[in-house]
Amino acid sequence: MKRILVIDDAATVRMYHKSILRSEGYEVEEAINGIEAIEKALNGHFDIYIVDINMPKLDGYGFLKELRTLEIPQAPAIMVSTESDDTDKKKAFTCGANYYLVKPVKPEQLATIVKLLIRGE
Amino acid sequence: MGSTMINDIRISYEDFQKFREYFYHKTGIWFDESKRYFVDKRLVERIAATGMCNFRSYFTMLRFQASGDELQNLINSMTVNETYFFREEYQLKCLVKSVLPEITEKKFDNLPIRIWSIPSSSGEEPYSIAIYLLEYWEGINHWDVEIISSDIDTNMLHCARKGFYSHRSVQYLPAQILHKYFRNTDGGYQISEELRNVIEFTRVNLFDPTETKSYRNFDIVFCRNLLIYFDDMSRRQAAENLYDAMKPGGFIFLGHSESMSRISPLFKVRKFAEAVVYQKPYYKSEV
Amino acid sequence: MGFVKRQKEERADVNERVYERNCDGFSAQLKDPDPAVRRWAARDIVECPGASTVLLERLEKEEAIEVRQAIFTSLINIGDRDAITGLVECLRSEDAALRNEAIEAMKQLPEGVSAIIKELLKDDDPDVRIFAVNILEALSHPDVEEWLIDVIESDSHVNVCATAVDLLAEIGTEKSLNSLDKLRTRFSSEPYIQFAVNIAIERITNGQYHDK
Repeated sequence: MKRILVIDDAATVRMYHKSILRSEGYEVEEAINGIEAIEKALNGHFDIYIVDINMPKLDGYGFLKELRTLEIPQAPAIMVSTESDDTDKKKAFTCGANYYLVKPVKPEQLATIVKLLIRGE
Repeated sequence: MGSTMINDIRISYEDFQKFREYFYHKTGIWFDESKRYFVDKRLVERIAATGMCNFRSYFTMLRFQASGDELQNLINSMTVNETYFFREEYQLKCLVKSVLPEITEKKFDNLPIRIWSIPSSSGEEPYSIAIYLLEYWEGINHWDVEIISSDIDTNMLHCARKGFYSHRSVQYLPAQILHKYFRNTDGGYQISEELRNVIEFTRVNLFDPTETKSYRNFDIVFCRNLLIYFDDMSRRQAAENLYDAMKPGGFIFLGHSESMSRISPLFKVRKFAEAVVYQKPYYKSEV
Repeated sequence: MGFVKRQKEERADVNERVYERNCDGFSAQLKDPDPAVRRWAARDIVECPGASTVLLERLEKEEAIEVRQAIFTSLINIGDRDAITGLVECLRSEDAALRNEAIEAMKQLPEGVSAIIKELLKDDDPDVRIFAVNILEALSHPDVEEWLIDVIESDSHVNVCATAVDLLAEIGTEKSLNSLDKLRTRFSSEPYIQFAVNIAIERITNGQYHDK
């Protein structure tokens, strides 16, 4: 089963993403911020990361930059944020994101992107 | 109050959900469904002990209490805090198998390797470290090691220096180690004088930057099951003080249920075969 | 080889300081090329008059995380009006790390922040309003729920409301139920709001049920 790590400091957002992805048949884990996400990434493989931008201790950009330096099998990351500016999008891609979604996310939108990224498209 | 009241208190599934998210947010400890019985039981005990009549009123009090005392009580009851020799031994293994080899590989001077064990509590942790190095680390024959152990409580320091332990406290030590480093006393054991002389016990308040200022250049810090008991600001200050006490590239061990993700972004996560350890980054070139 | 104990006097402060250890010296050290020097200055400057302004000035350019952390910790320890004003400005920064560090710092200053939070909740910038709701989480203020209710009743931005609902799921009482219901209708085409409101209501009403 494909594993997905949902990284967001808001509990409801984590639950929402989790419920969408679980109904698509993925195994989902959660992290409350970038540091916890790094710990989890080091402790087990994930096929996709779903990353919020604004989080305490280590934000989404910081997480991605660090993730991309880790000597682990890399996986695509979807940045999910309330920020809809082009500068944020650009920054997300420079930090190593593979896709950018603006919150609030529609279930079918998230499911489709995840499916495509897992297939490597 | 009393037993009838305790029997009347019910924790619903939603209460459990609400509570575990709050507790996770505050402490980084996550209870999965299998801990439901344990968590409910502790919660009911605390609700009764505080004279509250249900989860809701208790939870409101917990969240809004300015002193944070009840959160502290709850943490105490949710975490079994007993110290004993070789507690969380996988971390000691990590110390000798991964951390010390990395430190010595990068070390270009002959100064001692400095280890700080805080809080010393009654001394089990610093002595366990010393025993572990003597028994399981070949490098002890080539390197000088300095172990300093600190606590804010002078009574604890007094106990640690004396080194008397109960049977319970040494129960996980292999027999030959117990025999080698301890002597039998009335109803317990005392750690050998040799080991008692090895460790320097000092009093310090980790949360006070002026007190920790003279603690410097540690290669390794053990700070296990302490920060979890404090609020965000205290943890933040403690993390700053620990950071300044460490050498660049130095390592810090936290308790097994603790994570830097609740404490500070100052350290890097390092994953070794035996454990996750946090590292003070090397200085980047000048800005 | 083996265990050693160092003599006390050897364990002195090893940081060599070429600067004067006074307020002017600290201000100068904050511009030193060595981040370790800047970090110590950011720690030591706390007692100096006008320290918040000097620290905030440095924060604008500062890139080293260890120095930024020390600056924020000092700003929390000072906690004066200048510090709070400066932290509010950080919320508007392009730099996500800075914004989030400011949110965390403001959570540690409940008294000073409570005085200005209502203004922030009405800020023109929806991002700032989201951050203000984030900060509410840490204010043990009796009006927090009222403020959140006001947000979900009046804020036009879906993500500001979403953030408020997330917090109401944690702290809301039956007082919020009506407004949550209205929010569900107001954003009837947003699946996330439907989901979040359901969770909040479920949590609140279940508690109520068990009280009876």
